Amino acid sequence: MPTFRERLKPRFAILGVVVLAVLGLLLFRLWTMQVLSGEEFSARADDNRIREVTTIAPRGRILDRKGRELVTNRPTMAVLASRSVAEDQRVLSKLSALLDMPVPELKDRISSVKEAALASRVIAIDVPMETVAYLSEHETEFPGVEVATRSVRRYPYGQLAAHLLGYTGEISEDQLAQQDFQGYDPTDVVGKSGAESSFESVLQGDRGLRRLEVDASGSPQKIISETEPESGRDVVLTIDARVQKVTEQALAQAIKDAHGDKYYKAKAGAAIAIDVRTGEVLAMASAPTYDPTVFLGGVSEKEWRSLNSTDSEFPLTNRAIQAQYPAASTFKAMTGLAGLQYGMTRQWATYTCQGRWTGMGEQWGKYCWNHAGHGTETLMDGFSDSCDTVFYEIGYDFYKDKGEKLQKFARSFGYGQLTGIELGGEAAGRVPDAAWKKSYNENYPEYQRWLPGDTVNIAIGQGDLLVTPLQVVASYAGIANKGKVMKPHVLRKVLGSDGKTVLGPTKEVAFAPKVSKKNLDIVDGALARVTTIGTGQGAFRGFAIPVTGKTGTAEVSGKDDYAWFAGYAPSNKPKYAVVVVVEQGGHGGAVAGPAARQMLASLLGQPVEHVTAQDSSR
Amino acid sequence: MMAVQERSAFRAVNPALVGVVVLLVVFGSVMVRSAVSGMTAGDALFQRHLLGLTIGLIPLVVAWSIDYRKLQGWVGPLLLLDAFLIISPKIPGLGASAKGAQSWLQIGDIRLFQPSEPAKLVTIVIMAAIIAQYQCSIDRPKDLFKILGMLGIPLGLILLQPDLGTGLVFVAITLGMLLVGGLTPRWFLILGAAGLLLVGALLGSNTGLNRALQRGDYDPAYVAAKASGSQAALDAVDDTSVLIKRYQMNRLLVFVDPTRDPSGAGYNLEQSKIAIGSGELSGKGLKSGTQGNLNFLPERHTDFIFSVLGEEFGFLGALALLALYLALLVTALEIATSSRDLFGALIAVGIISMWTFQILENIGMTIGLMPITGIPLPFMSFGSSFMVTNMAAVGMLLSVWTRRYS
Repeated sequence: MPTFRERLKPRFAILGVVVLAVLGLLLFRLWTMQVLSGEEFSARADDNRIREVTTIAPRGRILDRKGRELVTNRPTMAVLASRSVAEDQRVLSKLSALLDMPVPELKDRISSVKEAALASRVIAIDVPMETVAYLSEHETEFPGVEVATRSVRRYPYGQLAAHLLGYTGEISEDQLAQQDFQGYDPTDVVGKSGAESSFESVLQGDRGLRRLEVDASGSPQKIISETEPESGRDVVLTIDARVQKVTEQALAQAIKDAHGDKYYKAKAGAAIAIDVRTGEVLAMASAPTYDPTVFLGGVSEKEWRSLNSTDSEFPLTNRAIQAQYPAASTFKAMTGLAGLQYGMTRQWATYTCQGRWTGMGEQWGKYCWNHAGHGTETLMDGFSDSCDTVFYEIGYDFYKDKGEKLQKFARSFGYGQLTGIELGGEAAGRVPDAAWKKSYNENYPEYQRWLPGDTVNIAIGQGDLLVTPLQVVASYAGIANKGKVMKPHVLRKVLGSDGKTVLGPTKEVAFAPKVSKKNLDIVDGALARVTTIGTGQGAFRGFAIPVTGKTGTAEVSGKDDYAWFAGYAPSNKPKYAVVVVVEQGGHGGAVAGPAARQMLASLLGQPVEHVTAQDSSR
Repeated sequence: MMAVQERSAFRAVNPALVGVVVLLVVFGSVMVRSAVSGMTAGDALFQRHLLGLTIGLIPLVVAWSIDYRKLQGWVGPLLLLDAFLIISPKIPGLGASAKGAQSWLQIGDIRLFQPSEPAKLVTIVIMAAIIAQYQCSIDRPKDLFKILGMLGIPLGLILLQPDLGTGLVFVAITLGMLLVGGLTPRWFLILGAAGLLLVGALLGSNTGLNRALQRGDYDPAYVAAKASGSQAALDAVDDTSVLIKRYQMNRLLVFVDPTRDPSGAGYNLEQSKIAIGSGELSGKGLKSGTQGNLNFLPERHTDFIFSVLGEEFGFLGALALLALYLALLVTALEIATSSRDLFGALIAVGIISMWTFQILENIGMTIGLMPITGIPLPFMSFGSSFMVTNMAAVGMLLSVWTRRYS
C-alpha cells in the first residue's frame, strides 16, 4: 500500500466536503425558489404568457318616450396607435400626412392621457377605405399602428337635445380613480355629460374578456378562455323628440325675435317643458348648442378650446339646469302666494302705484317699471300688469315681519336647492337671507346688514335672488299641481336585453310647500289673466287653449334685460308647465312668451305658430 | 478460467460510473429533446445532440485504452497541443466566432468544435503531471510559482480569446488539484488574497489602460455611438476596451443587480429564474414548460438547459439531477482514492474539480447565484464539443480505474 493514499485521505475528505457544499448550496437555493417562492414565480410566468384582451360591448341606446332612437351606435373604421408611436418621429410624420392631422395633435391624441393605458388608443375614426387599405398594405412601415372596427355613437336627430343627451369620450384619469368606475379599462368610452353620464352604469355593457397565451414576441398562440361581451341596456327618456324639436326651434326663434327688437346681444337661453303631475321632462333645450359628434374618436384641442370660450358663450353648458339668473317677475307668483299665506295681502287688497314707490322713505324710493304709474291696483291687477309697487309693498311687509318668511316660502317650493334631476351639474340657485349676506360680505362689514331693500328686491325677483330655469318651471308646475312640486326627471324606463322594462317610470314629490288650496286658486286665477288681459296677452292672442303664466324681464347689471316666461296649460286642467328664458333678450312678453306658446301648442296638439308680440313690462 | 475473465472484465469497468453517466446522458437527452421541440430546426438539433453522444464514445474508448501513466512524460508536447488548441480559433482560415469570442475551429464552412473544450482535459493532464512531482507536499514558494507559471500559459492564452468562463474553469481545476496535491493551507490563504488583489488590479488597470489608449468609454467614436442610443451604431464601433469588454462588464453588473437591464443581459437571468421558480415542487410536465416553449428562455437547449429542467420537472427533478451529480462525483472521488499513483489521483481530482465548478457555475447562473458566463452543464447541455470532452473525461477516469492494481 503506497503511503501517498494515507496522506491524501484528509484532503480527499476536504474535496468531498467542497462537492457536498456546492451541491447543498444549489439545492438550498432551489428549495427556496421552487418550493417556498414557487407560487410567486408561477404568477410571474403567467404574467409573461397570458394576455387579457377585452372585447368592447356595444353601449345601450337612448330612446325618447315614444321609442324613437335619439342615440344609437354605428361601426366605424378606426386607426389606433400604441404609446410608442408618440416617440417615433418618422411614423408620426407619415401618419400625419395620411390622416391629414397635424403632428402635435396626433401626438397629443396618442399620449395626452393615461400613463396606465397599455392598449392602443383611437386616434382617428371614419377613416376612408383607401387609407385603411394603404395602412394594411404598408403594415411594416407603421409599427404600433393598427386599423380596427370600433363602435361609435350615432345621433339620428343630429344635435337635437345635445345637452340633455350629453356626449361620450374616453374615460379620464380622474374618473378611473373613482369608485363608480371600478373595473373600467383606461380606454373605455364613457358618458361625459347629460344622460350619457347619468345613466352610465346602465348604458355601459359588460366587456368581453379573452385570455390569450402569447409567446415571447407577443404573438398569440391559443385562446385560454373567453367570455362574450354583453351589450348595455337601452334607456327610454321622458322627452318627446317632436316637442324637443319645436322647443329648440322656438328658443332659436326667440333669440331671433330679440334681435328684431334690437336686443342684438341675445345669443343664449333655455327652455323646458315638464308634465306637472309627474315631473317628467318632455323637452329641455339650451342655446347655444353643440355637435356631439365632435367628441367621437377624441375631441381635438382646437375644438375643445372653442367649446369652452366666452366667444362661443360656452355651448357645452346646459343652461336649463346650470345657469342661475334673477327670476324677475316670474317670482311674483311666489311673493303673492307667500303674502296670501302669511296674511300680508288679500286677493282684492288695493295698492296705489304712482310710478315711484317711497314706502321705505323718500330717499329710498324705487320705481315701478311703469314710471307713469298704474294707479289703483288690486293684487289681481298686480299680477296681470306685473306692477312692481304691489309687490314692493308685500316685500316690505315681509321685511317688517322680520321672520324671513318670504325666503322660507320660496325654499319650500324648491328655490335655493337642487331639484334632484338625474342630470349632472345642476345649480342650486340662491335665496338670500340675513345669514347669507353676512357671510357673503365677510370682508366688507359695512355691507353685512340685511336692509329693507333686500327683501323688497327679492319680492320682485331681483336683488341677490338667483334661480335656475328648472326651478322656475318646477315651481309653476307645483302651483298647477295643487301645491305638490314633482321631482323633475328625464328617465322613463330602462329596457332589459329582451326589450322588456326592467325599471319602470317613477313619480316622486320633491317639495310639498305649506300653502292652502284657496290661496293657490287665487294666484292661479290671477296668472290666468296675464295671458288674456295682461303682459302676456300679445304672445297668446288667439291661442285656442287657456294658458296660465307670468312674464318676466330681469335686470342684470352691465347687460341687457333677460326675457322670461313661465306658465302652464290648459288653465282649467293643467297638464304641462313650460319655461323660456333668453339672456339679454329684452322683454318676457315679447320674446319668451311667443316661444312658450309654440311649446305649449306642440304639447297640446295645437298648430305651432310664430306670433310677434309687444311688451314693455318687467 | 471464464469466471476469472468475467471478473477481471467487471473489475476493469467501474459499473457505478458507467451507470450514472448513462442515466445523466439519458436525462440530458430528454431535456434537450423537450427544449428543442418548439424550435424550427428542433429535430435536426436533437439529431446533432445524439450524434455528439455517439461520436463521444470514440474519445471515451481511446482515453480508456491509453495508459494514462505514459502521459506523465509528455508534458512538453502536451503544452504545445494545449496552446495550439487554445489559439487555433484565432488562426485565419481556422477560426470562427460566436457571441463576442472567437472560439470555434472551422475548416471551410464546416464548424468542427470548440478547441477550448478538449484543452481543459489537456490542461488537467499537464497540471497533474507537474503537481505529482512534488509528492504530496508543496510548501516552497519556488514550487508553487512553477506550478502557477505552468497554469499561466493556457490561462493567459484563454483570457486573450477572451473566454473568461473557460479561464475560471482552469483556475478551479488547478485549485482542486493543489488541494489534493499537497499545497499547505497557508498558501491557500495567500492565493485567495492575491486573487482578490488581482481582480481589483484588473479592474483598475482596465480603466487605466482604457484611458491611456483611448479605448471604450474613452474612445470618442465609442462615446458618440453610445450617446446616439442606437445599438447598430454601437455594434459598428464595437467595444474597444482593453481588458474587460462591455458585455462582460454588463454580465457582472447584472449579476449584482438583475433589475439593471431587464430587457438585455438581466432579461435572461430574470426569465431563467421565473422558469425555475414556476416549476414549483413537481414541475409543469415534460414539454409543458411555458417559459421554454414560448421562447421566454434564451439559449434554452445549451446554457440554460437546467432552467428547462427546473420548469418542467420542478424541485423534484432538480433534486434527482443533483443526486445523479453527487453519485457521479462520489464515484469519481472513489476512483481518485483507488488510483495506484498520485498522477492518476490528480487527473481524477482535476476532472472532479472541472465538473463541480461547471455544475456550480451553470446551475448557479440560472438561479442568480453566479454571474452569467457561457459555461454548459456537464452531460445535460446541447453541444457536441462539450459532450465529447466529458465523454473523454469519463474515459480518462476509467483508464485510472482499470489500472488501479497493475
